[in-house]
Amino acid sequence: MSAPFKQDMPPPGGFEAVKYKRNLPFRGPGALVFLGGALLVSGFGFYRYGQGVLEKRELQREKVWSRIHLVPLLLAEGDRDAYRRREAAVAREREIMKDVEGWEAGKSVYNNAKYATPSIAIL
Amino acid sequence: MSSAQSGSVATRPYVDPTPLPDNIPKVQELGVSSAPLKSAAFFIGAYCKEYNEDFMLCKSENRDPSHCLKEGRRVTRCATDLINKMRENCLSQFQEHWDCLEKNNQEYYLCRKPERTLNACMFEKLGLTKTIPSAPAGKTPVHELEKPLFKAIQK
Repeated sequence: MSAPFKQDMPPPGGFEAVKYKRNLPFRGPGALVFLGGALLVSGFGFYRYGQGVLEKRELQREKVWSRIHLVPLLLAEGDRDAYRRREAAVAREREIMKDVEGWEAGKSVYNNAKYATPSIAIL
Repeated sequence: MSSAQSGSVATRPYVDPTPLPDNIPKVQELGVSSAPLKSAAFFIGAYCKEYNEDFMLCKSENRDPSHCLKEGRRVTRCATDLINKMRENCLSQFQEHWDCLEKNNQEYYLCRKPERTLNACMFEKLGLTKTIPSAPAGKTPVHELEKPLFKAIQK
């Protein structure tokens, strides 16, 4: 006996599509974005640092030249004072050693005409 | 020291009171403290250039203090002259600037505002400008930068 024949058919409207695609939701910006961003930020930082170095160099130049311009003035004043004290010391020495024959007051201890800063200074 | 002092130990160092010999012409020392000197430094450099260079050339000949007394007097007279002129013409701006320097560790970059008014006044009245020698050519000098990187944090 043969059963009544019934062909097996797809459901009305057809099968639903096969779900073969992976489900990967968007998980934020990718590695390249982060790498590029970090490079941009640090590049900007290095640029600012370089500008700062250049500016600091100019500030230092300004400071140094302000001092250089004052050197002659201060040196002249110091020289007058040193000369005054030296003359006074020589006069004192001459007074003290006036009884010693052949004594030259203020004579250099070096056999050299070049000026040497006195090693003992009386203020 | 010839004056009477209490105690057996002097509290200040002995200073030789002997004046300069009479054959040396007297010159009034400048007697300006560090902040006004720093404020006026570039103008001294511009105004007294010849005297300063003459003095330094003389010093390079011989370091003996007695060798360059004449040139030294010229330097001091020139600086005194300039300070007097500054006080006559730009007293308030000058005072404001060195006051600012005194309060800001004597740093120029913290006192740009009073410095600019002083520079403008000096140029207007005396024709002196602040120039920094050997600064890179073709760039704004550091004291004229509109937006410097280094500035006072508090305005």
